[in-house]
Amino acid sequence: MSEIDLPVELIRTLSMTMVITSVVAVEVRRLRLSAAAYAIQALLLVALLLSYAQMNPALYWWAATAFLTKAVLTPWFLFRYIGKTQEMEVEPLIGFGPSVVVAGVLMVLFFRLTHGQIEILAPSAMAREEVFRTNLAVASTIFVLGIYAVLSRRDAVKTVIGLCLLENGVHLSLVSLAPELSETALFGIASEVVVTVFLLLYVIEGVYQVFGTTDTFRLRELQW
Amino acid sequence: MFQTPSLTPSLLPAGAFLVPLLGGILVLAVERRGGRACQGVSLLASASLAAAGFLMAFRTVQGRVLVAWGNELRVDGLSALLVLVIGSIGFLTTLYSFRYMGRGELLERVGVGKAEKRLAIFYFLLLWFLGTMAWAAVTNNIIMLFVAVEATTLTSGLLVAFFWDRRALEAGYKYLMLLTIGITFALFGCVLIYAAGAEAGGLAGREALLISEVRGVAGLIPRRTALLAVAFLVIGFGTKAGLAPFHPWLPDAHAEAPTPVSVLLSGVMIKVAMYALARTVSVFFPFIPQLTVFIVALGAFTMVLGVVLALVQDDLKRLLAYSSVSQMGYVLAGLGLGTYLGYYGGLFHLLNHAIFKALLFMSVGAIVYATGVRKVSELGGLARRMPITGACFLVGGLAIAGFPPFNGFMSKLTVYLALAGSGMWWAVGVAVFTSILTMVALIRPAYRVFWAAPSGDATRFQAVREVPATVWGPMVILAAMCLLLGVVPQVAFGLLSRAAAVLAVVGGG
Repeated sequence: MSEIDLPVELIRTLSMTMVITSVVAVEVRRLRLSAAAYAIQALLLVALLLSYAQMNPALYWWAATAFLTKAVLTPWFLFRYIGKTQEMEVEPLIGFGPSVVVAGVLMVLFFRLTHGQIEILAPSAMAREEVFRTNLAVASTIFVLGIYAVLSRRDAVKTVIGLCLLENGVHLSLVSLAPELSETALFGIASEVVVTVFLLLYVIEGVYQVFGTTDTFRLRELQW
Repeated sequence: MFQTPSLTPSLLPAGAFLVPLLGGILVLAVERRGGRACQGVSLLASASLAAAGFLMAFRTVQGRVLVAWGNELRVDGLSALLVLVIGSIGFLTTLYSFRYMGRGELLERVGVGKAEKRLAIFYFLLLWFLGTMAWAAVTNNIIMLFVAVEATTLTSGLLVAFFWDRRALEAGYKYLMLLTIGITFALFGCVLIYAAGAEAGGLAGREALLISEVRGVAGLIPRRTALLAVAFLVIGFGTKAGLAPFHPWLPDAHAEAPTPVSVLLSGVMIKVAMYALARTVSVFFPFIPQLTVFIVALGAFTMVLGVVLALVQDDLKRLLAYSSVSQMGYVLAGLGLGTYLGYYGGLFHLLNHAIFKALLFMSVGAIVYATGVRKVSELGGLARRMPITGACFLVGGLAIAGFPPFNGFMSKLTVYLALAGSGMWWAVGVAVFTSILTMVALIRPAYRVFWAAPSGDATRFQAVREVPATVWGPMVILAAMCLLLGVVPQVAFGLLSRAAAVLAVVGGG
């Protein structure tokens, strides 16, 4: 592993930019812009995978799968269904300003937490070394931002974008944790996410047609 | 207790899940030939799966372990038990669904597409649902286990929302969202076990994916990593199994789905999730004894929460759904003990619950089919008009409440004995208390719906007739199974003991 020179600076830059796109995707109200931020993040993820690929050729295949599912299909589905529902996100409970602050705090907190406490999270020696350490930290940060989006947003489409974010976080962590994962497994994991996104959006379109809105607070038919 | 089982190459593991998947595609292909063709293909495919399940059970009881694809697929007693459940309940449900889904009104409500096309899509999804569950049961690859379990969510998502009205859509959205997020935790858990197994146990990359290999090195995995993995797996697979506090998706999805789908969700799918949890978490039991207390406690909590919420339900399907949550608590408490008796009791209850929950949901479906009503408060005096359904519901209710001579009594007793044997008397108390509440929760509405006089207009149900034979046929078969396994529980001993031994023996087999 040490014989191969990974482009460390490039990886760091890509990782940090990915985190920023996550915050943008979560916060921006105009859904198409949010989806675009996600698409950019997907491209950054592909670039990251290619950067790591020198060390593990299976990642070339995975970068291709990620490109197809995350950078092409998912944004396509998002844009298509945003067009069929509504353009602007249903206002969440937290205002824009406070929300950005919370997102920022979560970001810093989780990055430092995972970077510092890597032993629990990373079973292998490789994962504790640099670059992979940063990778895991970034992955968990994006994961947390995704969860934050799912929990704090009222708009159903926004929650789907949050889901995409958290999935990106998990898949990114696989680079550090499971470098020898087979192509079949990677393909299976990636394709399932895109199918989930499609099904969710299809159901949300139904929700919009029947309820007249994508506001999840209105989904109150089923209580106790 | 058992010798090293003989690994036997076989077509059964692959065939078990490929046949339903191919059958589903065939259903779409014959859509133009009408509903009968779709139903015929579905019946054939589900019958094959059931047959595969029986064959697997037969072979594994003889001491074999069926392998295929270079040990990627591996069917031992535990997997055979699951495939048997998936196949037989799947077959009975497919038969049950013919008249049920064939009713014009049920499909007309749906706004999207023609009725025949919707029917074809229904059976396609149903067969793929069965196929992906079978895949989860036969795979030996820990990441593929995750992929298969997630695939079951995807195939059943549209089935849950099938009626496409307000309630179904809300249920479908919550179902897909909550289960996908939950399962992502399980992915992390699976990956942690894989990576830790490779590192600590020195397993080569490909070998570390195989659950049978990881079992051997589980003791070498550092404790904190193991606990973290277990936590993630409990959240992930536990959500899908309906364990509290991750259960909220369950009542909505099981109640709003078409009844055949509810039968499969409550009767089969949550068992597959529990199976995945048992397979992955039990590797650590011998090395971290404190884990068992935690898991039994979680089981106890789930038991009580489920039954308490069931008691206050008016909607029959929601009531059954909450009761499923409660009964999964029993299974977890049994499996979580880590002892042979605990595994046996947990798996026996898993089998029994599949049978009587399927029976109960089918009975409620029959009530809805005949009357159009789902609420206890609006029903009454149906026994005269629907004697078979009434008897079946009563058998199901008595079985789930743990009355002898039915099967529920036997499996619950085993779980009580296992808990007592491990010294967890507090858990026995909770379990018995829950049983009493379950009795009230099920028998009270049974009486109300079938024997008490209906409130309001007494002539409302005069036109009600018993359901057709393909609807009550599966119900009667299941009711007979409840009685059989209660009176002669030894019938299941061969398979259950093999399955329990798989979990109880570490480092081989």
